[in-house]
Amino acid sequence: MHRNMSQICPGGCATCSEYNGCMSCKPRLFFHLERRDMKQIGVCVSSCPPGHVGQRSRERNECIKCKADCEACFNKNFCMKCKNGFYLHHGKCLENCPDWLEPNNHTMECNEIVH
Amino acid sequence: SAQKAIIRVIPFKLEPLTLEGVFASVAEVMPAEGKLLQFHPLSLCNTSEDEHTVPGFVSIVKLERPQRDLHPCLSLANKAKLAGERGAHAVLFDITDDESAADQLSKPRGLSHPVVLIWGHDAELLMGVVNNNREAHVKIEVKEMPAWPDYDVWI
Amino acid sequence: MDPLSPWWLFLSFSGALKIASMEQEVAPSCPPLCHCEEDGIMLSVDCSELALSSVPDGLSPLTAYLDLSMNNISELMPGDFQHLRFLEELRLSGNLLSDIPGEAFSGLYNLKILMLQNNQLIQIPAEALRDLPNLQSLRLDANLISVVPDKSFEGLPSLRHLWLDDNALTEIPVKALNNLPALQAMTLALNQIWHIPDYAFENLTSLVVLHLHNNQIQSLGIHSFEGLHSLETLDLNYNELVEFPVAIRTLGRLQELGFHNNNIKAIPEKAFAGNPLLQIMTLTRAGIRLLPGEMCQQLPSLRILELSHNQIKELPSFHYCQRLEEIGLQHNCIYEIGADTFRQLTALRSIDLGWNYIQSIHSEAFVTLHSLTKLDLTDNQLMTLPLGGLSGLTHLKLKGNPALSESFSKESFPKMRVLEVPYAYQCCAYGACGNFFKVSSQWDSEDISPEDDDGHKRTLGLFPGHVDNHYDLDLDDFQLEREDSKLHPNIQCTPSPGPFKPCDHLFE
Repeated sequence: MHRNMSQICPGGCATCSEYNGCMSCKPRLFFHLERRDMKQIGVCVSSCPPGHVGQRSRERNECIKCKADCEACFNKNFCMKCKNGFYLHHGKCLENCPDWLEPNNHTMECNEIVH
Repeated sequence: SAQKAIIRVIPFKLEPLTLEGVFASVAEVMPAEGKLLQFHPLSLCNTSEDEHTVPGFVSIVKLERPQRDLHPCLSLANKAKLAGERGAHAVLFDITDDESAADQLSKPRGLSHPVVLIWGHDAELLMGVVNNNREAHVKIEVKEMPAWPDYDVWI
Repeated sequence: MDPLSPWWLFLSFSGALKIASMEQEVAPSCPPLCHCEEDGIMLSVDCSELALSSVPDGLSPLTAYLDLSMNNISELMPGDFQHLRFLEELRLSGNLLSDIPGEAFSGLYNLKILMLQNNQLIQIPAEALRDLPNLQSLRLDANLISVVPDKSFEGLPSLRHLWLDDNALTEIPVKALNNLPALQAMTLALNQIWHIPDYAFENLTSLVVLHLHNNQIQSLGIHSFEGLHSLETLDLNYNELVEFPVAIRTLGRLQELGFHNNNIKAIPEKAFAGNPLLQIMTLTRAGIRLLPGEMCQQLPSLRILELSHNQIKELPSFHYCQRLEEIGLQHNCIYEIGADTFRQLTALRSIDLGWNYIQSIHSEAFVTLHSLTKLDLTDNQLMTLPLGGLSGLTHLKLKGNPALSESFSKESFPKMRVLEVPYAYQCCAYGACGNFFKVSSQWDSEDISPEDDDGHKRTLGLFPGHVDNHYDLDLDDFQLEREDSKLHPNIQCTPSPGPFKPCDHLFE
């Protein structure tokens, strides 16, 4: 018996299978490969999980990883929220703020120094 | 005929399973072992990101029917090669739904990690382990071919 | 009362505490079927993928995160979220919203993230966005938006990230973008924009990233990018530019520029005079025939230059691009490499000259390239290869040069890993063809992965279509990065000798 695509697909899948999950997504949703212990399945989402960003193109929409120090990014090189222990400044995650900026430990951002 | 492989699957805290497959000649025939990790067929593309898993695992890839993937990003041989370059010690392909896979993987390419094909009931058992367990270890062995009896035959 | 005045915040906070304390005996309410998690005294509520057709009742006032994505919500009611004074993130993506009433988000003074992507909005819900003083991220991508009222973003003084990609915009919403002092990243990609007028982004002084890929942009004004003092990344890929966008000369902080898949034909002199910080440039399939002679004098910071799939015949000297690390020139019309072409590019690691018409390479061409590890000369018209400067190569590809019949000694390439040569016997030139190196059969054409001949997929940068933000390597290149841990050091030489491709010495 083919365990194949005719079964009911979850969420935004266009096609799916028992072992691999989604094989393709409904239009405009992002394809994401999700690791669950030993398993790796395809899922289709309208917003990508933490540490990933949705990248749209004519051929395909998929989730790609942000940089390792970034929790949420606009694209691979522009961070919007850094992981714990890093300060955000203009899309970059810094371990320390540069001298001409002031660290804000509440927002975890580097702010202009107000004289 | 292709060299047979013994696949010992040791799920965490469960009874081991002994399955059988066939070494594909795209790669070397050699034993291998490691932690079992399933990979989605679309994860083995140049444009897909490397998970940077710790090297030394054994990949299992469940191939879908070819009609479902009309524009494959890489040939199966290149997917097998990419898996090796991303840290796999061996690659298992469940070819139950893709009869053409065996041909695609029959041309010697000298890949330095073994590629084993599995199908039918053995494949179903293996994928069952993947579906129902969090972790498993796999040992791939080369099945000893029966020794030829001694015939005194002269031509 | 000014919603941000401390006095008001104290009142509402204590009010909330009063509600919370009343609820202390009773756990904060969680709408049926939703999944709620406490985060201190705040609540994260996930009601995604529940086939809901409206916003559920019973949301706790202490909700800070609310996910209503991937449901069937087609309508929001005024005040649906009015009591959620502490809400910071609201996800409504993947629903059926075609319009949003003006009062829908009233009272959400602490909202930072609003996700409306993957709905059916036909215009920006300007009224609803009127008073969100702390909103930083607004996602409106993957809707049907063709109208952007002038005052769409008036009430968003803190907005930093704006997604308008994958909509139906035909022009840049210049007036609407006039008052976004905090905006740092914006995408207008995948629309039908055909022109960028002068001063289109004049007040976006904090903008760092601007994506305009996959539009129909044919022309720009000379002053189109005036005012973008902070811009570092500009993506004009997949458009219909027929002239080099000289407007980029005002982008003094630009680091990454892409306009591959356009039809630019020529790059004028002094094209990059205003971009001294440019590091990565992607000009694949841009119809380019001519490169300016002094191009590199203006690009002292350039690290990666991708020029594949153009019609370039003659190369200038890249000598002044002193930081150049990778250059992609495959699929052009180049016929010779001079002594000066790559002179003293000591950081240059990779040169791809495949699929050109190169007949001659000056003997000094590679002598000063101390970092060169990869050289691809596939499919050219070489008769000989000057070996000076190539001792550090790990990858050398010479296939498709039928007149190149010389054998190479092992000593010429002590670090070689992947060698592709025109003839099998050239693999045997390394001594025994047996164990010293493991041969793999010829890289058959049908085996060539689809992207191998699609040069732009091997381009670089972070722009959509190329996922990685480093040189998008082919399979052999992966091998370089993982060479020690996995593959034991052997040379992969193709075409591999065999019964019908004998080594000469088999017949001596």
